[in-house]
Amino acid sequence: MIMSFADAAGQPLILWSWVRGHGGLIFSLLLQHILLTGIAVAIGSAISLFLAILSVRYRRAYAPVTWLTGIMYTIPSIALFGFLVPLTGYTILSAEIGLVSYTLLILIRNIVAGIDGVPAEVREAAVAMGYRPVRLLLQIELPIALPTIVAGLRIATVTTIGLVTITSLITYGGLGRLILEGLQGFFPTKVVVGSVLSILLAATTDAAFVLLGRTLTPWARRKAATA
Amino acid sequence: MSHPDPARQAPPDPALDGVMIRLEHISKTFPGSSIPAIGDLSLDFPRGEIVTLIGPSGCGKTTTLKLINRLIEPTSGRIQVDGKDALEIEPHILRLGIGYVIQQVGLFPHRTIRQNIATVPGLLGWDRSRTEQRVDELIQLVGLDPTMADRFPPELSGGQQQRVGVARALAADPPVLLMDEPFGAVDPIVRNHLQDELLRLQEHLQKTVVFVTHDIDEAIKLGDKMALLNVGGVLEQFGKPEEILREPADEFVNRFIGGERGLKRLALITLAEIELDPGPIVSPPVDEAEARIVMEKHGTNWVGVVSNGNLLGWVWASDFGKREPLEERIQWFKVKLAPTNTLRQALDEIITSRTQVAVVCEGDRYLGMTTLEQIRAAVAR
Repeated sequence: MIMSFADAAGQPLILWSWVRGHGGLIFSLLLQHILLTGIAVAIGSAISLFLAILSVRYRRAYAPVTWLTGIMYTIPSIALFGFLVPLTGYTILSAEIGLVSYTLLILIRNIVAGIDGVPAEVREAAVAMGYRPVRLLLQIELPIALPTIVAGLRIATVTTIGLVTITSLITYGGLGRLILEGLQGFFPTKVVVGSVLSILLAATTDAAFVLLGRTLTPWARRKAATA
Repeated sequence: MSHPDPARQAPPDPALDGVMIRLEHISKTFPGSSIPAIGDLSLDFPRGEIVTLIGPSGCGKTTTLKLINRLIEPTSGRIQVDGKDALEIEPHILRLGIGYVIQQVGLFPHRTIRQNIATVPGLLGWDRSRTEQRVDELIQLVGLDPTMADRFPPELSGGQQQRVGVARALAADPPVLLMDEPFGAVDPIVRNHLQDELLRLQEHLQKTVVFVTHDIDEAIKLGDKMALLNVGGVLEQFGKPEEILREPADEFVNRFIGGERGLKRLALITLAEIELDPGPIVSPPVDEAEARIVMEKHGTNWVGVVSNGNLLGWVWASDFGKREPLEERIQWFKVKLAPTNTLRQALDEIITSRTQVAVVCEGDRYLGMTTLEQIRAAVAR
């Protein structure tokens, strides 16, 4: 049997007076949500970039890297946070470890695919003109891989925004805190505000990445236009 | 980051005078293969000349090319580039002085045409204004439309992309240019055009060009020298295309250069290289009796009219004795060849024109004419 909040508590779905009176709280939770996501994606990107480049240079490393990050990605989020609490407690650290681990597989796969997608003749021409490995990576390979990398970042970030709500079970949790408190206290307004804002945040971020991708890679867009 | 400009280094070893690239007893066996791709190859590439490398697949022509800029390292042997031991120079420094053009072009898709051309100046640390100036110069040199400079490579046609490829290779004015089937992916008309442009560029650039091709006509047309390789990097013959066509070293070479050897040779000899005949000519006012003597001497039924060094045209013998002056009966030579045209073009003109001669002029000035007999004599030399 499904029981609606409105039935259970005899309350309307949204109480606008509560929303008006708690603007500061809602705004700070939104910021917290963005911050938790930002930290996770930034750290995840740094680790992924390192592991992806390692995998490209030493091909034998790629299988174990995808195997390990694949396992991390498979663990259900609540179970993972459950494993982490005994180790790192009810802390932001536990939350971020979990969040970061979910970004790795997507980001590493996209970076590797992006670099692999650099045409062999482009790489050969660059080397033949005097590029050395580091400069080749920074000026040729990564820029050409950028559309694929941005696509990976987009998925990873939107996924993380969703997962941050779950971290409310062990620590801050951004907008997830509103949802959790609303569920526990039979106060639908909090649930609605938390859900709607996290959905809006995810949708806005998604659109922002599409725009960012186009701005960073005008050449890729023109290619598509002529294709 | 800045590197010493390879074009401005010490003068070459005098022992290698006239030789830009020397391969000495090169062998190359790729890992995992028991048969060497190149067994024992020695080859000199003369300074300022185009050498075309040609042979069947597996002859190691591309491998040979890539040995020069060390994209492939030899198993044994010595390589000298501009008097220096190439195997002692750091590969990336060596490569800055060697232009590289490949069939798939390999332009950087994320950089504009201008940025692509500026690649090597960028690696060499040239300042902005010098680079800008050089890029503009190159866009003009290779015949690109300047409005394309700020576009991205995928927006260009195959032929235009390869022009950018050539401009990029020439950017820092390297003394050596390696070209691996650069015109293999464009259609025959564009290919022919790009070949002509390369020859035009080479006239004043005087680069040492190593040009790999599988197209025998291209090898003959472009090469100052031609190296014919057989499977395993065996050098079957090395020399001027004209020499190879005239005297193929063996049956392999003979089969490889294919049929129509005579015609192919005609394409290599220009009209400037043979002695032209003044032909049956008279000057106005035309005296009919004199004209008849000239025609008889040359065995023709027409006579050319030359006035002050200009060829006005010709008059048929059948038009003689008519009422109006002969000058009004003059027919134009529709096709006038230049001394830079080949005997093959002259032959074509001879067999299609009603006068059975090819007329050669430099600008307006009449130089002479050539006949089938003269062409046959030139080839029989």
